[in-house]
This record gives sequence, structure tokens and C-alpha cells, in this order.
Amino acid sequence: MESQIQQIHQQLVDKKISCVDLIQEKLNALKENTHNTVNALLSEFALEKAINVDAKIANGETIGLLEGIPFGVKDVYMLQGTYATASSDLLKNYKSPYTATAIQKLLNAGAIPIVKENCDSFGHGSSSENTIFGAVKNAVNPELVGGGSSGGSAVNVAKDYTVFSIGGDTGGSVRQPAGYNNVYGLKPTYGRISRYGLMAYASSTDCVGPLAKSVEDIRIVLNAMSGKDTKDQTTYTSEVIEESSILNATNIKTIGYFKNFIESEAIDAQIKEDFLASIEKIKAKGIQVKELDFFKSDILVSTYYTLAMAETASNLSRLDGTNYGDRIDDKDLKESYAITRSEKFSEETKRRIVGGNQVLSQGFSDEIYLKGLALRDAISENFEKDFEAVDIILSPVTPSTPPKIGDSLKDPLAMYLSDAYTVGFSLGQLPTLTVPQGTQTGLQVTAAKNNDELVLKFANFLKDTI
Amino acid sequence: MSKIMTVDVLSSIKGAQPSEAVSKLFDVIKNAQTTNNNPFNNNHNNCVSLNNLRDDIVVESSTLEKQIIKDNFPKEKAGYLVVSKVIDA
Repeated sequence: MESQIQQIHQQLVDKKISCVDLIQEKLNALKENTHNTVNALLSEFALEKAINVDAKIANGETIGLLEGIPFGVKDVYMLQGTYATASSDLLKNYKSPYTATAIQKLLNAGAIPIVKENCDSFGHGSSSENTIFGAVKNAVNPELVGGGSSGGSAVNVAKDYTVFSIGGDTGGSVRQPAGYNNVYGLKPTYGRISRYGLMAYASSTDCVGPLAKSVEDIRIVLNAMSGKDTKDQTTYTSEVIEESSILNATNIKTIGYFKNFIESEAIDAQIKEDFLASIEKIKAKGIQVKELDFFKSDILVSTYYTLAMAETASNLSRLDGTNYGDRIDDKDLKESYAITRSEKFSEETKRRIVGGNQVLSQGFSDEIYLKGLALRDAISENFEKDFEAVDIILSPVTPSTPPKIGDSLKDPLAMYLSDAYTVGFSLGQLPTLTVPQGTQTGLQVTAAKNNDELVLKFANFLKDTI
Repeated sequence: MSKIMTVDVLSSIKGAQPSEAVSKLFDVIKNAQTTNNNPFNNNHNNCVSLNNLRDDIVVESSTLEKQIIKDNFPKEKAGYLVVSKVIDA
């Protein structure tokens, strides 16, 4: 599909539609909340901005490409004056005092946020069922989960309720729901987009990521949000990715895939067959395909969750009901902390906090946490070697198709293991894009660090190949 | 004096117990083979150059930001923001 952003921009410029009508149409569609994707509508805020865009057009002023384009925001981002609940009971009445850098950059470009989107509470989940707003329903089959944690964002894009949405990806939370709902979802290189104003889950892998229906829209939104930010010292300066630079993939000569992902007993037979068929089509285009060795899936998942739980236990320790959030008072401060956290965190969030504190405590930290860090280094080294041999690594997004709503909550271990194909790339801090092609839950295109451009280029190539 | 803190105390979550599902993940790590057991001996950590540190300056919050921070405070009485009793009972 071609760029919706460019198409709508042209319609606005040609006065074929008004911005107010466009925004109102999207708000009306979201108001039905058919798939439980909506935590809050930003109607007043959005319509006010739309009036300004229409006024500019009426005055003959030039508008920017993103000006007037409606988008969704996962409810873990700050947008000043609006609720930022993280889909949690603890923060259900919390208002953002400031605006996240990534969202501010989109506002500066004129894009209009219209909805705060449902997700797993604090990003803790792979199905968007761990939320106080009701399980997000899959865009293709509403009996299935929307994926997670950015499930509301993926479904809104898939259903055309938003033109693009901004999710957050820590271990696959943009890529997996993108795959479950047949849209594009990018986890950029760690540090390319500022995390300032994104509620911290696991700070060493948290990434801001766009979801959209075309590679071109992903490129436009990525460019708008990228850049160094003094408020997030892990950010770096990046070059703008030009449209022309991702059209021709002739410099991609060799790709690889992880043999053990495909030979795993856990992979769905159809996903395996479709993945291998995609590989054959790529080979037929003259690209060399190499089988690569990689860490076992259980090591990847365990390493990721060990580190993510340790980081989230630290990050969420600030949520005690003292300065913000729903406080439950008890006989003294310590008891107030404990009762507030016990009552207001979900079971999954508590499970992760407890796991994190376990691995950070004396006696466990050497055996588990530090070993997890060492494994992460080994995984990164493995990637460095791989990218000396291949330009792109291709992988399925998930080993299986989306589960039915209700099934994931019963079996947390199975949910953790379903992240097997996404978490490794997060640990490596690599740019990775889900493309809605190749298998029922898409394909994952990954390149070396800071090479987001190559990922988009290969995605364009796949569009014409598969 | 040695004091053992259990995970429910460490986590400030009443009655918290280690989960079986999470323990299975940790067992995988315990049994994994690593060639490098010193995670600080490498170049993969994200570091900021000393020259790149942001200026150590106080940035004044806007009036709106201050007001929202006050609005978010869970309890107010007679114009004061109220916290839970600090002294242990």
C-alpha cells in the first residue's frame, strides 16, 4: 500500500477534504471502541488543532507533510494535560505534566494525536489483555488477542482508525502486534529516538516505534521523531533517511536466517513452510541466503526476561502512591506503600517486580543477573559476527499464530516463550521491522546497529518480491 | 546484624511469592554456559562521553506543569499536600 500520509496530505492541500472532517471521522470511528483499543479520546485537543490546519490551508499557507495527519499514542507516553494511565489501576487518574520528546516532535511537525491507546499495563504482556480497559481484540479475528504490548496501536492502524500510531517496543511490543494485525511496525536502533516521556519498563531495551500501513509512512514518522535529545543521554544524532535511498536494494547481496528458529519444535508448521517459501523467492532474485547459528530460544527469552524484570523492578519502585497515582493509606508510610502496590498493580506486573527483585538480591545476582548480562554480551557479539557475513537477518515474527483471548493469562511461561523471535534483537539493540508478508504473522527484517535505512530498503524489496 | 529481606518486603508487595513460571526462566540462565562471566569487560554498554554530558542546570517547570504535578498528588488538606505518616507504628 502506498503512503497514506502523502495521500491525505495531498487531499488536504487540494481541499478535497477538510482537516476537521478527517479528524471527526476518525474520532467517530474510535468512539465505538469496537476492539477495546481506546483508553481516552483527545477530541477537543485534536479538533482545535484541525481548525488551525484548515485555517492555514484557507489562507493559502503551505502545510508540512505531517500537518493535520491523525495518529494514535500508546498510553505509556506523556502528552501534557492528558491522561497517561499505562492501562493500569495505579495510574488510572494520572495526568501527564509534560510531553514526551517523540510526541512533541510529531506535534511540532503538525501531526494530530487523537487517541491514547490500550496496551498491556506498563508494557507487561504480549497480548494486551493485562489492562484495566478490557482485552484488545485482534483486527482480523476479534476472538483472538491483538498482541502486545502495543496491541491497541496495531489494531487502530489495521482498522484505519489512525493513520499511524506510536507504540513502544521493549522485547517485541511493536513488532509482535504488528505481525498479529498485518501492519508494519518498527523497532528502531536503540537510542535513535528519545525515550524521554515514555514510561520506563526496561530502560536498556525500551524503544519508541511507529506502526503504519506502508514502509513509506514508517520512514516519514521515523525521520520526524529521530535525533539527539539532551533529556535522554542514550540518544544519538542520525541522518535523515531519504525516500530515494530506500527504493533500490541492489546493494543487498546476502541475507541470513537463524536455522534453530526454523528447526525449533515450537514453530507452527504453516509459519515454517511459509517462511521457507519466502526464502526461496528471495533466492530466486539472486540474493545469497546463509543459514546462521544462534542461541537457543529458551536462553534468549530467559536472558531478556531476567534483565527486563530487574530493570522494571527498579523503574517501578517509584510507583508507591506518595506523589502520584492512586494511594491507599494505611497505618504508616511503609504499609501504605505495600498496600497501594499490592492492590493497584496487576498480577503480571507484580510477578515481574518480584522476579526482578529476586535476581537483584544478594545470592542471586551473581548466579542469574550478572550471568544474564554476560549472555547479553555474547548475544551482541554473535550479531556483530553475523553482520560481517550478511546484510540482513530475516526471521519470522512469532513462532505461532495469535492465541484466543483468555489463553495467555492462564499460562505466563507460554506467553514469555512466545517472544522467542523478537527478544534477541532487542537485547542487541538492533533496528528491526515487522513486514506484513511472508507468514501469517509477518516477517522480521533486521540489520546491524544504526542501519535502519537498510531495514526499510529491504522491506521495499520484499514488497515487490513476496 | 544480618537481616534477611524477603521478596515481599523488597518489592513492597504484600504476600508476594516467587513465581513458578519466572523461576523456570531463571533455571535456564543458571544452567547456561557463558564464555565471559564478567559483563563489565566489554564494549557493549551504553556510555556517554564526559564531553557529551548535558549541562548541570536547573530548568524551571512551566506553571501548567507545576499545576498538573499538584493535581496528581493523591491527597490535599487545607492547601497542603498530605503524605502518609512516616514514623513506624
